Order: sequence, then C-alpha cells, then structure tokens
Amino acid sequence: MVTKNERIEQSMHYVRTVGMTTMRGRGFYFPVDTAMASNGRIYVLNRSLERVVADTIRVTMLNEDGEYFGIFGRGGEGEGEFRWPCGIALDSNDRVFITDEHLNRISIFSPDGEFIGKWGSQGDAEGLLKGPAGITIDGDGNLLISDSQNHRIQKFSKDGDFISAFGTEGDGDGELNLPWGITTNSDSEIFVADWGNDRIQKFSHDGKFIAKYGSSGRENGQFVRPAGVTVSQKGYIYVADWGNERIQILSPEGNFIQKLRGEATDSEWANDFLRVNVEEAEARERADMEPEFEFFNDDPHEESSHIEKLFWGPVSLLLDGDERLFITETNRHRIQVYKRN
Amino acid sequence: MPENQIDLIAHLMRRGGFGATQQELEDYTRIGYEASVEKLLDTATPTVMSEYLIRRYHPDESSLLGGLSGADAWLYRMVTTDTPLLEKMALFWHGIFATGYPKVLNAKPLADQIRMFKRYAMGDLNTILVQMAKDPAMIIWLDNQQNHKDSINENFGRELLELFSMGVGNYTEDDVKECARAFTGWTIGNCEYMEVRSARDSDWPYGRISWHYEFDQSDHDNGEKEFLGRKGNFNGEDIVDIICQEEATARFIARHIYHFFVADEPPVPQWPYQPPRDPEAIDQLVKVYFDSKYDIREVMRFLFNSDFFKSEDCWYEKVKSPAELVTGVMRLTGAVDMPRYDTFSKQLRMQYMGQTLSNPPSVEGWDGGTAWIDTGALVERMNFAAEELGNLTTPGSQQLFDKFVAENSEQISPDRVIDICLEHIGSLTIHRDTRVKLVEYANENGGVRVDGNQLDELGKDTISGTVKLIASTPEFQKA
Repeated sequence: MVTKNERIEQSMHYVRTVGMTTMRGRGFYFPVDTAMASNGRIYVLNRSLERVVADTIRVTMLNEDGEYFGIFGRGGEGEGEFRWPCGIALDSNDRVFITDEHLNRISIFSPDGEFIGKWGSQGDAEGLLKGPAGITIDGDGNLLISDSQNHRIQKFSKDGDFISAFGTEGDGDGELNLPWGITTNSDSEIFVADWGNDRIQKFSHDGKFIAKYGSSGRENGQFVRPAGVTVSQKGYIYVADWGNERIQILSPEGNFIQKLRGEATDSEWANDFLRVNVEEAEARERADMEPEFEFFNDDPHEESSHIEKLFWGPVSLLLDGDERLFITETNRHRIQVYKRN
Repeated sequence: MPENQIDLIAHLMRRGGFGATQQELEDYTRIGYEASVEKLLDTATPTVMSEYLIRRYHPDESSLLGGLSGADAWLYRMVTTDTPLLEKMALFWHGIFATGYPKVLNAKPLADQIRMFKRYAMGDLNTILVQMAKDPAMIIWLDNQQNHKDSINENFGRELLELFSMGVGNYTEDDVKECARAFTGWTIGNCEYMEVRSARDSDWPYGRISWHYEFDQSDHDNGEKEFLGRKGNFNGEDIVDIICQEEATARFIARHIYHFFVADEPPVPQWPYQPPRDPEAIDQLVKVYFDSKYDIREVMRFLFNSDFFKSEDCWYEKVKSPAELVTGVMRLTGAVDMPRYDTFSKQLRMQYMGQTLSNPPSVEGWDGGTAWIDTGALVERMNFAAEELGNLTTPGSQQLFDKFVAENSEQISPDRVIDICLEHIGSLTIHRDTRVKLVEYANENGGVRVDGNQLDELGKDTISGTVKLIASTPEFQKA
C-alpha cells in the first residue's frame, strides 16, 4: 500500500534534457546505457548501427550542463573496439567496464578512455558468456553481468575470474528470460530486469530468489520488456518499462507509485544546432509537435515515434547522489533528467 | 496435372511463399492441396520473430533513423513467418506502389507503408488504393502535398491511373487533371517542418519524427469534376471507387498478379502493345475480381486453385527476385532464431543482386523476370545460395546430415545422395542433364559413407558440395 504522502514525496518532476543526435563526436548515436563517475562526469555508451562507419560507435563523455569531454572507443573487433556494446559500469576508481553482446567480452578503460584490457569468450559453461548485456558493480567490487542469452547472472572479479552464477531459462521464480538491466541496492541485493518475462526480480547477494514485481501489460505496475532498473537509497525501484515507452516508480514493496511518459525539451546541444540552422528552427517553431490523430494500434512505440517529447526507447536509468534520475533514450539519442519533489 | 502431390505443393509454396523445407512440404501434403491453399490464405494471425526482439538487438529497426532501416526487420519477418503469403503480398504491392528512400528520406514512413500493405494486402482493392493514397510516404513520394486546390500537381493523380490501377491508354489527360483535383488537400501533418527536414535529410535534434496523414479541408477542391465519364463533386475516395469499377483496372491488376505469381510478363510499359501471355487466365481473374467486389483474397484463392497455376508449364518459369532468393535460402538454413549481427550483410547481398527493399529504381518498381539476371547478379545469386546452404554448421545442414544417417545404410549411392538433397531443398525438380552432372559429382567420392550414426568428413563435404551445386542450378534460381 502506498500512502498519499509517500506518493507525493516520491514523485519525480522533469528537469532538463541532455544531448542530441550526432553520428560522431559531440552527441549521441543510439545510446544504450549511461554511467556517472565520482566527479559527475557522465559516460554515454553509443551502440550505433551495424552498417555505418566505425567511429560512430563510441562513449561520449560530458556533464549534465552539456560540457563535452570527448569520446573513446570505436567499432571493430580489436582492443578498445565494439560490435554490439550494451552495458557500462564504473568501479570505485572510475574505471570503465563495457559489455559487448556480440563479441561476448568485457572491455576495460581508464576514466579518460584509455584501453586497459578485455576478457570474456563465448559459451554456456560457467564463466563463459553469450550476449552479455547489463552490468553493475556490487559492494565487494565484483562485476554482476546479465549473461543474457544464457538466461543467467554471472559474477566475476574485475579481472574476469568467475565467482558464481545464478538463474536458468524459464518463467518461474528465479528463472530468467533474456535478462538485461541489473543493479544492486545498499543491502547488496540484486535487481534484474527480466526482459522476456516482463518483470523485475530481486535476489539475495548470493543469487537466491527473494521477490518479483510486475506482470505483462500496459496497466500501472505492469511491464512490457523492461530493460533497465535502479534502486534508491530508500529502496524505491525505478524501472525503464522499455516496451511501454515509460518509466515506472515502485515502492520498496513493489507497489506502483508513478509513471513517467517523457517531457523532453531542447537541450543545450539541440539549441546550438537550431541557432545555426534557422530554416529548420523556424519550421520547427511553427509545427504542432503534439499532433492529435488516430494511431493504427495501441502500441506506445507508435505514439512516441510521432511525438518527440515522449520517451522513445527508454533503456537505462541512472540515479545520482542527489537522487536525480537520468533516463537514456536510444531512439531519441538523449537523456531526460528528473528529480524528486 | 502432376501425379506427385508434394511437387505441386512445392510449386505452390515457391509462389505463395519462399519455398518450403521437406518437413513443411510433408505437413502440407498430409492435408492436401486445397487445404494448403486455405492455410496459405489464412493471414489473420501470423507467427513471426517478435518485434521487441528485433528492436532490442537492432535499435535502428526501432527508430528507423538510417536510410536502409526497416529492411532488416522485414527480412527477419520474411525468414521467420509462418504466414509467408502475407509477406509475398507486401512485396507484390511494394513492387506496384513502388516508393523509395531517395525522395522520402525518412525510413519510418516507408516501413509504415509496408505495414499498411500487410494490413490491407488481402482485402478489397478499393480499400488498398484509398490507404495507399493516404499513405504519408506515398504523398511525399508523388508530391501530393504540393497538390493545392488553386494549383494542382498532377503527379499522384497521373501515377494512380497509369501505374497503380488502369495503365496507359485507358484515360485522358483531362481525367488526370480531374483526378488530381479530387486529391487536393490530401497531405501530411506538419508538412512544412517535415519537408524541411527531408530536404536536409535531418535527423536532428532527436532522430526522425514519424509522419501522419492529414486532410486539409481548406485546400481541397470540392467543385464538380468529370472523371471517366462520370460527373460529381468527387473527392479522392469517389475517384478510387470509380477506378475500381473499370474493366481496365481489373485487367491491369490481374496481369500484375499473374506476372508476380504465375509467370513472368514483359515490363509494364510494354503491356499496351503486347498481349498477356495467357489472356484466358487474365479473363478468369477479371471475372473473380468483379464477382467478389474487388476482393484480392478471392482472386488469390481462385488463382492458386486454377489449372493455369497448377500447370507444370509454368513451374520454374519465374526468376526469383533477390528478396525471394535470399529469404528462401535463409529459411532453408534454419539459422535465424535470434537477431544476428550480420543480418545487414544479407541485406547487402540482396542489394548486390539488384534489389534494395524500400528503394526501387523508380516509381515503376522493378522490372523483374530475366531483368534480375545479369552476369554480376547471377554470380552473386549463386555464391550467396551456395555459401549459405553449403555451410555445414547450420541447423538446416544438420537436418540434412540426419536424413543421411536415417537411411540406415552404410553406403548411400550417388543417385540417392542427389534425391535426398533435392528433397531437402524443397522437392526441387531438375533437368535430367543436370541430374547426370550432379550424380557424377557425388560419384567422385563414391557416394556417402555412414559409419554407425556418423558421417565422415568426406561424406559431409560431398553433401555440402552437392547442395552448393544444386543452389547454382537454373531450377533453384527460379520459382
């Protein structure tokens, strides 16, 4: 049960939008995950496309105000290169760990983006990977990885030494179906976006099933292919309800509190673009950016494709120390920032 | 009529689908030909690779930002669907209402158009034409957003009559103008902004924005028009209604259907001067069109059950389009159970063969037929099929190996090797001279040896080589 006060206290409000679409350099191109360093620097992992040139795959470094610190990484299969980059996490020294769900490996970079090393190879035996997607670092400094196509979570040391694994393919308690986002709370409990099962699952630090939240659907508290999850200090659960193109906030017990559908405005970088592209800016100014018409189906994906301010492909969630929520949207190539009341 | 039911059903599946595996053909044969036709025509609830799964692994198939976006998702659907006729009908309408990226410069409306074709593909022609006229990609493709009541743009009106419904020689220049007047005010929302973005190929600041149809009443010419001998205050729907009543429309669409599903006709511009290959078949299709009130599903039902379709005279008389060839090969490999990084490379191969989906060479679409075959394209087609089908690691290859093991014979003769491979690849019927050459090849290693439940490497190589050779035969390259 969620009280009215709790609902008000935990409600989130839109603050600003960060980033914009660019194939190279300053900007994002199909961002799939975001992490923040201890100094507030934001690392945005850009997956790009298979068929375009290598330098469109990259990590963009910036801060919330839009100050740009450069990029690192590129497409390919060599050191410091990616095919299908998917998840990013920073350790206590701000070293950067990135999963690649095609190359089945983890690449490690310094805080400034210098390549340090890589490990991982394909397979379904313990310690091997098939489609590593979400990644987080637990309280002991070990890596928890959604070994997605093996339908399990694996724990490794930062050097890639296998520690443990849990989960098998299925839809029962503790079973997983193509898990994606992963996070831990202050009690070292593990939350997994159980993507194919339309739910969030909670596990103990050693992988024992504790609880599950949500079911398939578009109602409050239901999910369609949740991709990302994060948990606040007080235990509130934030879910990137990817297939519903929204964010949902749940109480520590898993009860629905609020849903967000997106309120993006023009970012600093977007304004820079529009200032020098006057014809486009003026036409944009005159356009009805929230047109009303009949969609041929009830999939919010369709609505989001037409109405730019709405979340489209909300994939990853980041809570900073001030409990501000950074929502990365793959299809809109930006981050929307929300804060609590 | 062929004696062998499975061969006839294999013909049906090559035309109504993308070919079929041996298991699928055996399943169809069990229920019989007519029931197989009905199964093919039942397009209500297709089972296909999940959109969510495709979007997760290929984000661009979700946002459709890139120029060739949408094509990978379409390939996944063609390869994994259990309702192949729906995909074939989408290809069919795409070939007639050919709309392409170079002018639209927004892949989302193009992908939306294909989805629209699937929603209405098997319905009545009247609905298909109205939906096509309201389709945002088509509106921009043929400039109907510039078709104003005080200054008409004839482009869409002309192509509606010439390429989409009746064919040249069946209407006057005045009809074109009156047709254009009726479609004034049929535009897209936020037209100015969307046009500016398209002109600049802009995906800034936040990716592409989808388009939607909008009727601008203030820009619509509601005055009286005279069209094909009728008078009235016609709007676009009225014009389509009149078009659908015309015998020329029925003949034009019937010939397109015959060309796509039965046997190659000459390119469309030659149709006014060259009679149909089978005029009687066209007459029959025209009758069904009118009897069913323009119902395409009924026309297709009649066609698949007709003697002219079943006749062996038209087997292997159609050159597979690159989309049909690539899809058919990938379905045979059984290797597409999850989105794969290299799917775009299959698309590229299709392009090298001469077909880029959502990017036809012009508003007239692809000529098809023997135009698919030139020296470069033929080599590409044979190489692709041979590489994919000769890959020993695919589930399809494993199934083929299992069939050899299931023969329960230590030594499988070259003749039997060829039989097993031809059955596996979809009950392919090949010319006897070709067969002689294939047997010679299989005989080089003395057939295939089975040791217990194992094939030796030489045996696998023989099987793989045989399949590669079969993939290069004219019969495999045709449907």
